[in-house]
Amino acid sequence: MEAKQKLETLLSELEKVNSLPRLSSAVQDVDQVIQLLSEAREQIAGAMDPHTASMTMTRLQNPIKFAFGKVNDDLKAASSAHKKLGRSLDKHFPLKELPTDNACMDDHLPLINRAIAMHLLREGQFSVAATFINEVQTKNPAAPAAAVTSGPTYDEPMDEDEDEDEDEDDYNVDEEDDENEDHIEADPPPANQNNEDDEYDLNSLHSQELQDKFAEMYNILQQLKAHNLLPAIEWARSNSAELEARGSNLEFELSKLQYVWLFMGPGVDGLPNDAQSGRFGALAYARQNFGRFRTRHLREIQELASAMVFAPNLAESPYHLTFSAVSATFADVAASFTREFCSLLGLSAESPLYLAVTAGALALPRLMKYMLATRSKGTEWTTTSELPFETPLPESMLFHSIFVCPVSKEQTTEDNPPMVIPCGHMLARETLQKLCKGNRFKCPYCPSEGLMKDARRVVL
Amino acid sequence: MADLDAVKINHDTHLLLDQSCLRLPYELLRKNFRSVHYPFEWDSTSVKNVVKETANGLISGKSTPQDAVKSLDQMLVKMRGLKRKLTVAAEEEDNLYHQLDARVAHFRDLANLNTVDDVRYEDWSRQRLDRLLIDYMLRHGYDSSATSLAQEKGVKDLVDIDTFVTMSKIRRSLEAGSVQEALNWCTENKKELRKMQSNFEFMLRCQQYIEMMRTGSHNKMLEAINHARKYITPFNDTYPVDVSNMAGLLAYRPNTNMEPYASLYSPSRWPKLAETFVEAHLKLLNLPMTPLLHIALSSGVSALKTPACHSTQSHIDPDHTQQRQQPANGAGTTPTQNTTTTTTTTTTTGTTTSNTPTATQTHPHHHHGTASLTTRVCPICSTELNALARNVRYAHHSKSRLLEQDLMLLPNGRVYGRARLAEYAAKSGLPVGQLKDLVTGEVYGEGEARKVFVT
Repeated sequence: MEAKQKLETLLSELEKVNSLPRLSSAVQDVDQVIQLLSEAREQIAGAMDPHTASMTMTRLQNPIKFAFGKVNDDLKAASSAHKKLGRSLDKHFPLKELPTDNACMDDHLPLINRAIAMHLLREGQFSVAATFINEVQTKNPAAPAAAVTSGPTYDEPMDEDEDEDEDEDDYNVDEEDDENEDHIEADPPPANQNNEDDEYDLNSLHSQELQDKFAEMYNILQQLKAHNLLPAIEWARSNSAELEARGSNLEFELSKLQYVWLFMGPGVDGLPNDAQSGRFGALAYARQNFGRFRTRHLREIQELASAMVFAPNLAESPYHLTFSAVSATFADVAASFTREFCSLLGLSAESPLYLAVTAGALALPRLMKYMLATRSKGTEWTTTSELPFETPLPESMLFHSIFVCPVSKEQTTEDNPPMVIPCGHMLARETLQKLCKGNRFKCPYCPSEGLMKDARRVVL
Repeated sequence: MADLDAVKINHDTHLLLDQSCLRLPYELLRKNFRSVHYPFEWDSTSVKNVVKETANGLISGKSTPQDAVKSLDQMLVKMRGLKRKLTVAAEEEDNLYHQLDARVAHFRDLANLNTVDDVRYEDWSRQRLDRLLIDYMLRHGYDSSATSLAQEKGVKDLVDIDTFVTMSKIRRSLEAGSVQEALNWCTENKKELRKMQSNFEFMLRCQQYIEMMRTGSHNKMLEAINHARKYITPFNDTYPVDVSNMAGLLAYRPNTNMEPYASLYSPSRWPKLAETFVEAHLKLLNLPMTPLLHIALSSGVSALKTPACHSTQSHIDPDHTQQRQQPANGAGTTPTQNTTTTTTTTTTTGTTTSNTPTATQTHPHHHHGTASLTTRVCPICSTELNALARNVRYAHHSKSRLLEQDLMLLPNGRVYGRARLAEYAAKSGLPVGQLKDLVTGEVYGEGEARKVFVT
């Protein structure tokens, strides 16, 4: 942990500088000069005789010199504190030059602006987002304001909503996801791309739809924080088909929590003590709402109902776990709600901007190391589609399975997809083609042989 | 092993993006100090001399007590002025030390963390994101956005709003065709600019000259010649080409087609001056030339990007769209077909929104590739960054990294982890011995799934 110690040393040194002399002492000492001058002036103006005047002025010289000397010392002390700061920084935190070639970002400001606006909305910073969108649009009047009304650019989620509304209302949200991913894969001809860039701008966000969606999500989350599950349940119910298809139990989890929450009674949940709350309320809630989950969650429903029997002594019942960690359950439920809500919009649950910047900080040292190495050698890696160096990220930042062919050591891509051969081993297609003698190949990892026609493309 | 390294925070290299956050208070302290140091030297020498001269004058009888009072009054004015400057500077210094304190505390938060898995790291990294966003907004002149974000997030002391707002003001004035604010800035930083060998002030002086010439009025042209004598010709040795161009300009009117004079008269020199100013300003304060967010994003988007993120047939969606279309087309779901006709698959599924409605009509109850509670939508595939990521390279991996273990191959060519298949089968209420594709929804017998080995 040498690096950590270095940082700690730096920080303590910087902290110490804080107690060193500052410029404020010079202010006080200048007062001394002013006082000397004023006194001299009073004396001369009072007497108005040449002798007193010359005596005063002559006598003034040394004290003035001395007073200025003091101010000078103050300044020196303040300055040396600054310099100390500079030395600490140079020693423990030397300035390293950052990469300046970020053309891939510099040339796409409209895209960055849009990502920022979406990030702010997602974080619930609605007023900052509004300010930002406004400022961007006043600064760049070149951006076609017409697009606000003139309809969709192809990869806006809300635009896709619109499409769907026209095409098909029944599977609206479900659809939307689909299209979203479609557009991900859709590769527009590169020639188009720059023009479209400008269209990707914030106009689309002005259409309010995404803002409204995020506002809805934010409100539901706020309510969840305040332990009000009803808006979330309502949302889950109106999207139950899509959620179920995703294999999500969100609606049931929410309803279950509502039951538990009512069960706990007014003492815990702070709800009014009436038939709508407490154990009776829970029972009524269960009767009304659990029916729809019977096929999928029968066992859990039975457990929840049985808990009634143990009510006075829940802690010693087999069900105490369900009831003890309510606040943790609320947090879990809020997290899965966010995830599902965003997924149905085709968006990642965590802010992509946050993930990308965090990943960027983690990967940057490698990039700079590579830059230094290539600069000194004067060589450039020629692969244009893949980074020339590894940027290890933690597991939590892995979103797609990566398959590296064990023979060619290349990552599989669309053009060179992973294949599984009859013995169950996986190889890249190009590798397999090279291994082939006629139609047959021998597995490089086991003694079995196979035919090219038996190799299967795999979707990871 | 690799992953252990990946989650460990290297405090030495983790703060590359944060260098200016700690350094700028230092640079500003120096700048602030300079703003009073020279006035002090100047004033103190002058006052000491005047006191001495007045005393001598009185002794020799050349000056009267009235003269002495008068010069004392002048000295007092000067000293009160100096005191004002010092007071302002002292306040600014306190402010800067306060900021430094806040930043040290912020960095200490990081120093106390060891891995990126630590929940507190997320808080820290979110604050860093806020800092970078504010930096980006400020550099692009979105001052109100930056201010309100800083306010909302309570990170005012961690960002440098004032520095950038001042910079934006001068930049805007240049863009609007005014040199005065920029010239004042040059005077404030004369010594440092000279050290940097910046030609910015010279360029401003040239622009002033060009503007005088542009008027075409006789008086203004005379003024221009005087201006040139004072500010331009002295630099004949340093910038000989520019100086001779300026001299040549006398012979050409603003509507000339003759180069370089036409470009000198061009209004596009103003935005260029603004750019030069921004560069000089950033360099003077040791700030990076590009917004930190650009640096972070271009490194981070690449690191996160995989070949699947922009492929026409990623593991996500269109593939299954196509597969589900097959029965409708009467083609049957023979999986081998998929393997042998990859090219056609790619082209059919490459189409965008237009083909999806058909697909969903055939199979309304499908769901997409990010199914199940265990997978998440990838940030690069998410709308925010997808188009931006198109322009960057994808990450290099020398080893397979799989999201799941114990891979099972379904007859349709899709591969899932055994645990996830089992979980999904249970959730879907399937009878024992059956499995369901998480993406396409196809149901198979357990016996049809095969083990896959990733070496």
